[in-house]
Amino acid sequence: MSTSPTTLIAVPDSLDTGTPPAPAGRRWQPQATHWAALSIAGLLLSWWALTASGLIAPLFLPPPQAVLARFGELLAGSYMDATLPQHLLASLQRMLLALLAAVVVGIPLGIVIGVFPLARHLLDPVIEFYRPLPPLAYLPLIVIWFGIGEASKVLLIFLAILAPVLIATAHGVASVSPLRQQAALSLGASRWQLLRHVILPGALPEIITGVRIGLGAGWSTLVAAELIAATRGLGFMIQSAAQFLVTDVVVLGIIVIALVAFALELGLRRLQQRLTPWHGQPH
Amino acid sequence: MSLLQVDKLGVTYPGQSQPALHQVSLSLARDELLVALGPSGCGKSTLLGVLAGFIAPSQGRVLFAGQPVTAPGVERAVVFQHDALLPWLNVHDNVAFGLKLQGADAAARERIVADTLRLVGLADVATKRTWQLSGGMRQRVGIARALASRSQVLLLDEPFGALDAFTREQMQQLLLRVWQQSQRGVFLITHDIEEALFLATELVLMSPGPGRIVQRLRPTFNQRYRAGEDVRAIKSDPAFIALRESLLHSLFRQGHEEAA
Repeated sequence: MSTSPTTLIAVPDSLDTGTPPAPAGRRWQPQATHWAALSIAGLLLSWWALTASGLIAPLFLPPPQAVLARFGELLAGSYMDATLPQHLLASLQRMLLALLAAVVVGIPLGIVIGVFPLARHLLDPVIEFYRPLPPLAYLPLIVIWFGIGEASKVLLIFLAILAPVLIATAHGVASVSPLRQQAALSLGASRWQLLRHVILPGALPEIITGVRIGLGAGWSTLVAAELIAATRGLGFMIQSAAQFLVTDVVVLGIIVIALVAFALELGLRRLQQRLTPWHGQPH
Repeated sequence: MSLLQVDKLGVTYPGQSQPALHQVSLSLARDELLVALGPSGCGKSTLLGVLAGFIAPSQGRVLFAGQPVTAPGVERAVVFQHDALLPWLNVHDNVAFGLKLQGADAAARERIVADTLRLVGLADVATKRTWQLSGGMRQRVGIARALASRSQVLLLDEPFGALDAFTREQMQQLLLRVWQQSQRGVFLITHDIEEALFLATELVLMSPGPGRIVQRLRPTFNQRYRAGEDVRAIKSDPAFIALRESLLHSLFRQGHEEAA
């Protein structure tokens, strides 16, 4: 037991230093967040050390202060005719629109697949056909069919988010405890009530997990989506900067995407914790 | 008059040559506590599934109040060993769940739920989530939920099987109290011989291969408990022990014949 000393045990070090003994159970212990902070600090420090040593040319890896300076500059100033917040907003709009569409389509369709085996047999090949394809592979088709407008960009991200949401929902629905369903039936539940009061809440933890995974997949498609004749967006910003070897803008874009994606992920985790506090508990 | 009537019931699962249940007949009246005792594979869970309306009989029939049982119904509420409560609802809402599904009037519902929570000793934890409770408390919620619904028969599927010995004994006494006060017929399956002997007004011993009834008893220990005798005194009574050993012997003999 590394925790607090009990009243039965003398605390020699506190007597030596004259500091009051720590109250029971209050001794400082590093938490998960402390370790995470340490990891990030280590990464930043290595980055700084590596660039400050002059071993790597700024063209390949700009120093952190250069990226930070670029960040300050682009808050108001523009790169490729848009400020950083404008690029971010353009990407966020696409992401959120695609997410909304994927949730609106994916959850009901996932429920249908989970409830009706026939729907699963019919749709499973379609989903499994397109799911492993790299978005860049079917990007040309989407451009040919839907043009180079906003719809094609959102569609590409939507497809990336849809598969995880669909699969997680179908699996969540199909794996709701049969005993729970039988108990509800014996309490007089109709088929609709069973779905509404037992199956859906039971599948909710998995549905939210599907949305979390989907959102990650969506972000990873963002750059591909913004290859389609975009004039704004973080993916577009990174690609344009890459063409002119403006490495600090590339790194800045990567960091902004990572931070925004992480913030959304944290929000979804909070939501999951609030909506489904029983998740992960023995029940 | 019997509420549930089972006549020459047989169940054979698709693709299986041996029936899971063979020629099972029994009846359950409103004031009875019928216990089916047997080892795993004896068909007792299948029997409960048929009574609940989850499994269709292959032969014979099951009648509730004279009508054939073909589907789950509110008059036959089921309590499972675990995993059947709704963790997104608190204790009160779990108990109110059946009445809510049935569209009962809110005031009547609240009265019934409050009475039921008091009966099973859950009034103090009404606002807790089910996953915050111990195993024994959770089984109380399951029983209360079945009671609060408009059930006339409770079907209990090894309700105390996952509990520790101490809690199990408390729950057995709770069940007798609830059964006595609520005026429902109770059908309970278990593999615990002492539990079966202590609770049953009628006991059927079942055996596998094919699942069937091999012995019928009418133990009196339930009445002795209700007459005020101490539970430990009953369970250590030579008559109780003799019957327990005799049932154990029958079970082993059945198992032996099985192996031969």
